[in-house]
Amino acid sequence: MTDQYSRSEIEAFLDEALDADQMAAMESSLRDDSLLLDSVSEAISRRDAGIHSLGEIWRRHRISCPSREDLGSFLLEVLPQQQQQYVQFHLETVACRFCQANLEDLKQQHSEGEQDRSVRRKRYFESSAGYLGS
Amino acid sequence: MPLEAEQLLINRIRQGEAEAWSDLIGRYEGRLLAYVSRRLQNRSAAEDIVQETFIGFLNSLPNYDSRRRLESYLFSIASHKLTDHLRREGRRPTIPLTAASSTYSDWQLPANQRAASSIARSGERRSIEEHALRDALVSQVERWRKRDDWEKLQCLELIIVRGWANKRAAEQLGLSQQVVASIKHEFVKALTLAVRNQGLPEDVFPELYETE
Repeated sequence: MTDQYSRSEIEAFLDEALDADQMAAMESSLRDDSLLLDSVSEAISRRDAGIHSLGEIWRRHRISCPSREDLGSFLLEVLPQQQQQYVQFHLETVACRFCQANLEDLKQQHSEGEQDRSVRRKRYFESSAGYLGS
Repeated sequence: MPLEAEQLLINRIRQGEAEAWSDLIGRYEGRLLAYVSRRLQNRSAAEDIVQETFIGFLNSLPNYDSRRRLESYLFSIASHKLTDHLRREGRRPTIPLTAASSTYSDWQLPANQRAASSIARSGERRSIEEHALRDALVSQVERWRKRDDWEKLQCLELIIVRGWANKRAAEQLGLSQQVVASIKHEFVKALTLAVRNQGLPEDVFPELYETE
């Protein structure tokens, strides 16, 4: 086991769930850190053996993630103070990648034109609708 | 979106309703694009990955487990598509499964994890175990939320989600190590009880029986 990353962080790396900067740092370390490479391989072996990890289940099911409505309220700074601080902690210290994405999306909704979104949605719809009901 | 509304939306999509599919895209494309874009500078490539995510979702719909929240499922598909893209770009190193062969392999796990590897369990069985633990975790976290016990929640997020040692979590939160150890002990005890009450095999949750 490496000292630099916890077992849970290594599992989060495999799920593309770490903060983007941490993901990039770990990718870089993996190129010449054989100890880290072994730790990642061990994590894969544990999964293949069917061993559950609390961190993995917690992340996968977003156990403590604030709701999208709460993230919207966080953005508007209208949550009760303690909860506001908690959401900030979840976003910055726990560095939840999924909540960071939701928050970014909420911010974008204000800054991005509706037309840009519509064009994108139309493209997604047209490229996938053929698979609908197939 | 409440779970019932999600299930209704998915049922409509299963029946081939275009409006429901358009609704799902409208709801989730922005957050998926934000998730992927954090790792890619190339906006066009990020949009392509979101597009592949939606197609992947429709292809996997017959196997979709309705106990799973839709947003989490979409993020997991996006993460696979993103990982594939990063591998193709050479950014994400491929992990050789033989890298750890000198220390561990599938059949040579550390002693406290070996028993589980010998238990032949179906995917459905693993899913039942996972959802039982999920329910126990949700129940714990909801209790803390209702009591505004944010400190406990923060503490467990650092220990379980980040995997930090008690000492580091204590320093981050300005608590004593004893308090952190006590929060962890109480939490593990409740989860262990939930696992036993449901008759689940204990050796597939080794962390519940590890001592720090």
